[in-house]
Amino acid sequence: MIGRRLALSAALLPLLPTAPLRAQMRYPVNPVTLITHSSPGGGSDVFLRELIKHLQPVMGVSFAVENVRGGSGATAVARVARSAPNGGTFYATTPTYIQTSYLSRPEVRWDGLDPMAIVFLDPEVIYTRSQSSFRTLKEAMDAAKANPGRQRWGAANPASLERIAMERLNRLTGARAAVVSHEGGADLMVGVLNGTYDVGIGEIQEVKAQLEAGRIRLLGVLTESRLPEFPDLPTAKEQGLDLVVTKFRGLAGPKGIPDDIAAMWEQALRTVLASPAYRDVYTKEALVPVMLGREQARRFTAQAAEDIGAALREMGVIR
Amino acid sequence: MDHIASALGGWTVPAAFAGCLWGIFGGALPGISPSIAMALLLPFTYGMEPVTAIVLLASVYVGAEYGGSIPAILIRTPGTNASAATTIDGYEMARQGKAGEALGISLVSGLVGGLFGLAVLVLATEPLAEVALAFTPMAYFSLAILGLSVIASLSGGSLLKGVIAACLGLLVATIGSDPVSGVPRFTFGSPDLLGGVRPILIMVGLFAVSEMLVQIGEPAWGKAEKRDTRLKLPSFGMQRRLFRAQAIGCGIGTFEGVTPGAGGTVAAFMAYNEAKRWSKQPEEFGKGSPEGVAAPESANNVVTATALVPLLSLGIPGSNSAAILLGGFLIHGLQPGPMLFEKAPEVVAGLYWGLLLANIAMLLLGLVILTPALWLVNRPKPYLIAAILALVLSGVFAIEQSFFDVGIVLTAGVVGYLLRLAGVPTLPLVLGVVLGFMVESNYRRSLVISFGDHWVFLQDPVSLILLSLAALLTAWSLWREFGRKT
Repeated sequence: MIGRRLALSAALLPLLPTAPLRAQMRYPVNPVTLITHSSPGGGSDVFLRELIKHLQPVMGVSFAVENVRGGSGATAVARVARSAPNGGTFYATTPTYIQTSYLSRPEVRWDGLDPMAIVFLDPEVIYTRSQSSFRTLKEAMDAAKANPGRQRWGAANPASLERIAMERLNRLTGARAAVVSHEGGADLMVGVLNGTYDVGIGEIQEVKAQLEAGRIRLLGVLTESRLPEFPDLPTAKEQGLDLVVTKFRGLAGPKGIPDDIAAMWEQALRTVLASPAYRDVYTKEALVPVMLGREQARRFTAQAAEDIGAALREMGVIR
Repeated sequence: MDHIASALGGWTVPAAFAGCLWGIFGGALPGISPSIAMALLLPFTYGMEPVTAIVLLASVYVGAEYGGSIPAILIRTPGTNASAATTIDGYEMARQGKAGEALGISLVSGLVGGLFGLAVLVLATEPLAEVALAFTPMAYFSLAILGLSVIASLSGGSLLKGVIAACLGLLVATIGSDPVSGVPRFTFGSPDLLGGVRPILIMVGLFAVSEMLVQIGEPAWGKAEKRDTRLKLPSFGMQRRLFRAQAIGCGIGTFEGVTPGAGGTVAAFMAYNEAKRWSKQPEEFGKGSPEGVAAPESANNVVTATALVPLLSLGIPGSNSAAILLGGFLIHGLQPGPMLFEKAPEVVAGLYWGLLLANIAMLLLGLVILTPALWLVNRPKPYLIAAILALVLSGVFAIEQSFFDVGIVLTAGVVGYLLRLAGVPTLPLVLGVVLGFMVESNYRRSLVISFGDHWVFLQDPVSLILLSLAALLTAWSLWREFGRKT
């Protein structure tokens, strides 16, 4: 019932001025349903709804976003895995669906879906409050190294990539800092602002409000290269810390989708990512476009799953 | 004056009324929490003007927190978590044939709370944001302990049974991912339990389902029984009597709303407890005291405004509902936080006016809706019970399209029925479920921060104050409830 209502509202989105329709084979299914486990207004939901505004004119079909919640993503994954492999249904992937596969026994695991594309990486930053004496990540880590077992670092959810990153940082530096996990980013931000934590970790989007107000300072970004939006912010690697977090956003479908459909998606996504209107939107949110097609996305996802599994085992979360 | 005209122009007024109406229905339907009622509307706001969208969502919140009290009074089934405390005296009044009066008190108290909260939001956002920022995990732990300290007065006579119920609730709250390590606990491999059991499901089971089971076992309502089917707003004299309870509700609601955490539910329970403590007729509490309806209902409506303090001033959502509202802001390219007041002052002003309108709408819509609602619950019992059960269960199913959730509700219903047969009060259980995660996660975070040293709870100044307060209030309540009898 609710799903129907959401689908309807998405279909009624005003069509944007149309980009030239590509002279190619027509997409065989209309409308296409994109499923997310996130609630309306949540991360993947906003990502999809923005994406379809730009994708609609390029692919020449309508899209419906459906929020299938419950089971930490397992319900949505199972739903997509059971759908017909005709290109009509996709799931918006994030590392969550891999984590859920490790943390419980869902009906369909992450490898029950076939990755179709990896579109963006969400850059993670390490930050501190503006009253802090630390100017760079290196300064903070040097201080932590000099006084092992004294610093306190904040991260979001306990089984998240952010916590994994902070535990890795602990091992890289030997700081023996206390890594405190939270329920989402809000409590964590309060803890950094009131000085409970020396540093915190989060997505740019989560820390933007405080950054604009000058209440926090970014110390380093955990990507391979600097972000165009923040050219003065050095990466952790530049500061001598081999730490990169790959939090991805992509699409996956049921197994057995024909190759020509995959090719059409890859081409459409590349066109959309290159369009100035969409680029404005995603650079503002500091999303890093990567665009991996089906073959690469499969390898990427398998590697990500292996890394997450290894990290969860190392932290003792799973056996 | 110009900005008043611009704020009230366009779609603001219809948005406030429509949002409030939707909220009252959502809130009144057990299983639809305020945040779910808001989430259902969120996709419809994508194409709206930012001010209209924000006002619509905030009005849903206002309406839903009020709407929850309607079934709490009429059928002893709170529509929202925050109206659980209202069942105690609200339903008692309804049983005495004073349902119309109880609904009137709840409506007026909600209005008083909503307007007070709005005034606080407009006038004191800056200083109150600093209060929110002073909260460490230690302080959150102590705040949750303070919330648990009201168990004694919810136990209805037997402290032992009250504590047993609260412990059951705390146990339920341990299901799900471990808050510190992330290890799944008591999930039996099921992904449905990874996120824990949502308190609203327990609530619906414990109240709605078990109440229906109890009702089935009782004879049909006698035709001759005199039941007041007219809505009755509190008279001037009554309003004077309620003033103290409403003031207590406003004070506690302000504090609980500003500090992100359990919010309206704990505010309502604590307001009930304190209203009883400071009342001139404390012996009436639990036996249909009007003050027992006024205090929690003003408290949870204060929260609808003050919960926006950390969201607007810091960009930090303090509750699920505030998180949905944050989504509403983000979709329109607005980033709540310190810069919002400079970048989009018209949205903030529009939101303030919208909240005022929503509260007025709540009063007007309440006056229209309550009389049919009173008529409705006086229909023949078999029809009523069947309809309520069908409505509640389909509502629970619809939200996540999950039979698992329906199973939880039915299980909680049977457990609640058995507990009632055993004379175990269910309100402490609800409190345990609501606060369990907050107690445990912050206790363990604090110990990670202190590297295992328990003194940290007394070294943190806010935590020390809250713990002392909890100790004082608990001792006082225990003495009042149980000490004087022996």
